[in-house]
Amino acid sequence: MPSTTIYLAPPRRALEAPPAVATGDLARLFGRGAALVDVSIEIEAGRCIALTGPNGAGKTTLLRVLATILRPTYGIARVDGIDVAAEPHLVRERVAFLSHATGLYADLTAAENLAFAATMLGLSQAEGRDRVPEVLDAVGLRAAAGARVGTFSAGMRRRLALARTILGRPSLVLLDEPHAALDPDGMALVDRLLAGWREVGVTTLVASHQLQRIAAVADGSVALAGGIVTEVTGDGVVDRSATRNRARFPEPSPTLQGAVAP
Amino acid sequence: MARDLEVALAVARKDALAELRGRHATGTTIFFAAIVLLLFGFALGPDARRLEEAAPGLMWLAIVFAGLLAVGRLHETETEDDALEQLALFPVARHALYLGKALAGFAAMLVLGVALLPLVALLYRVDLLAAWLPLGLTLVLGTAGFAAVATAYAALTMRMQAREVLLPLLVLPVVAPLLLAAVKATTAALAGDPFGELASWLQLLAGFDVLMVIAGAVTYRFGLED
Amino acid sequence: MRTRTLGWVALVAVVAATLNSLVGVPADLNQGDAQRVMYIHVPSAWLAYLSFGVTALAGIGWLWKRDLRFDWLAVASAEIGVMFTAFTLLAGAMWGRPVWGVFYQWDDPRILSTTILLTLYSGYLLLRRMTDDPIRRANRAAVVGFIAALDIPIVHFSVEWWRSIHQVATFGSPARILHPAAPGAFVIALLSMLGAFTIAWIYLMIRRYQLAALEARIDEAARRGTLAAARAAAEAGVPEVVPRAGEAIR
Repeated sequence: MPSTTIYLAPPRRALEAPPAVATGDLARLFGRGAALVDVSIEIEAGRCIALTGPNGAGKTTLLRVLATILRPTYGIARVDGIDVAAEPHLVRERVAFLSHATGLYADLTAAENLAFAATMLGLSQAEGRDRVPEVLDAVGLRAAAGARVGTFSAGMRRRLALARTILGRPSLVLLDEPHAALDPDGMALVDRLLAGWREVGVTTLVASHQLQRIAAVADGSVALAGGIVTEVTGDGVVDRSATRNRARFPEPSPTLQGAVAP
Repeated sequence: MARDLEVALAVARKDALAELRGRHATGTTIFFAAIVLLLFGFALGPDARRLEEAAPGLMWLAIVFAGLLAVGRLHETETEDDALEQLALFPVARHALYLGKALAGFAAMLVLGVALLPLVALLYRVDLLAAWLPLGLTLVLGTAGFAAVATAYAALTMRMQAREVLLPLLVLPVVAPLLLAAVKATTAALAGDPFGELASWLQLLAGFDVLMVIAGAVTYRFGLED
Repeated sequence: MRTRTLGWVALVAVVAATLNSLVGVPADLNQGDAQRVMYIHVPSAWLAYLSFGVTALAGIGWLWKRDLRFDWLAVASAEIGVMFTAFTLLAGAMWGRPVWGVFYQWDDPRILSTTILLTLYSGYLLLRRMTDDPIRRANRAAVVGFIAALDIPIVHFSVEWWRSIHQVATFGSPARILHPAAPGAFVIALLSMLGAFTIAWIYLMIRRYQLAALEARIDEAARRGTLAAARAAAEAGVPEVVPRAGEAIR
């Protein structure tokens, strides 16, 4: 297999496949605060969608719910038609998530961190050996492969975390402010990665404050404010809650699922 | 099954590597346990006979206290850069993660125990070499059971504010029978097993280990998930 | 209303059985009046074990069926179980002082295992108290309840063996009271206390379960309120604050 592309192709999709991301009246509460309120969006497979909005708008919460880290308080969230709350293990096989924290082990080298991730992602020994240098190369960390992550700058850590997202075979990539801490070169790298994912049909959902930059690569955008979808633009993304949000709010809709039994 | 083993070994290897590089837990906990042993000596007075009698109990208390620190530290490395989050996101069986973590904890505690033994011999004037086989067996079974319980509970308390207090509070009552059996087995081994009770204590330890490893493996996912 | 009736029945039963065990039954020949503590001690111990069995089963039920009603049952049985465990120890100490001369006997296996039981489930309750999210709390509690229940028989074995090496059998045990040779009045007094305490236990369980259900309803109402407030805030004009990010998107 020629390794011109740094991506492993995602699993093939059926013709009548469900949307890559679908949420229905999704709400997530933290104690006395609501991070997400009635979010109902659909994202078609293979699109690159920007997630925008001010701090505290609910972008990170939405990504974390889709990544199976947080469970929805009400409503439903699906990845490729799979309910994230009911079958998180199946969702995990499809999703790669870059969080604020890079989730790396400071005492291991860059290569060791990736090798560990490769094993955990189910890559074979041989595959891992091939992929790790390849991926390190792609994010510009070849020279630092043998250095401990503890000695890395924030930007280098982020590059390494990005490398981990291209290691496996995700069909959905969730990036939480991938541009943070990156130099101009690193930001260009994010652009290239996003374009590459689109080429191979991987869906990407990117929370970012770099509006200009993300606009150049994204197919569409979802804007959040106060946990509510306020605007949806572009191709391949639909807001099913838009009319309801702008008009009256009905009483808790029947699709709301209580965490508490009646 | 082979995949689970691969995952468990990868996790344990990763922890061991970080341990060897950073020398976070093991080095400091050995030092801690050594100080505890020394202070027990002070607390019980200079009577050498009394110290010798108390040696098995004191040694196991030191191992238990230091083990709590070691297992807590092993889980702390996961929370430092929110590595736990990534660990939980990998498409791997939760019991495999548990086995890996428990294995790492077991290894750390075994190193700790082996390092403490000569110190116990030295400080409390106990002849360990005469009974090295039963002692070694007790050490292996005792530390394995402890690591099994502490790992299971570390996952539960990892995200909690008061985890430093809560972890010992939860673990210590559960390992009470383990402590009892390990001390008894050590005492019996040192005395040359005059009552022929050593085997039953070792069996109790083994039974405890098996039960707790299974319980930890089955329940680990409930601590890891939201 | 039916629960209230049960409460009265429990109260009457406990008072009647207690009076009988205090004045209706003759004092023990060896131990005198101190032996009467057994009529509280034994039922308490039985209910403590029953409670923790329920806690473990309810925890498994929650993990399996994902219905929070199991967790309400778990918290009810754990709290009541800790209470009866404390009764057991207190009654044991009250009896131990005149009969053995000490409040706490280190080489009695039952005292040791009961003490460990108390610490096991105090930790369980503490963990519950420190977790706010109901689902997380139910998860964590179920795990601890399960492991604690597995531990109980091991604790039992270990202290039994421990003692068997250097201690003669304890006297004044329930086995002795329920021994065929024991006078019928003793047996009846103990059985009626067991029955009365068990009725009281059922009443307490129902009440605590109802309380847990109410707590859950308050939680749920608070969540609905939070959500409604967030909706209202959105309706009131949050959209104006939003950067018009969409315009830049092709």
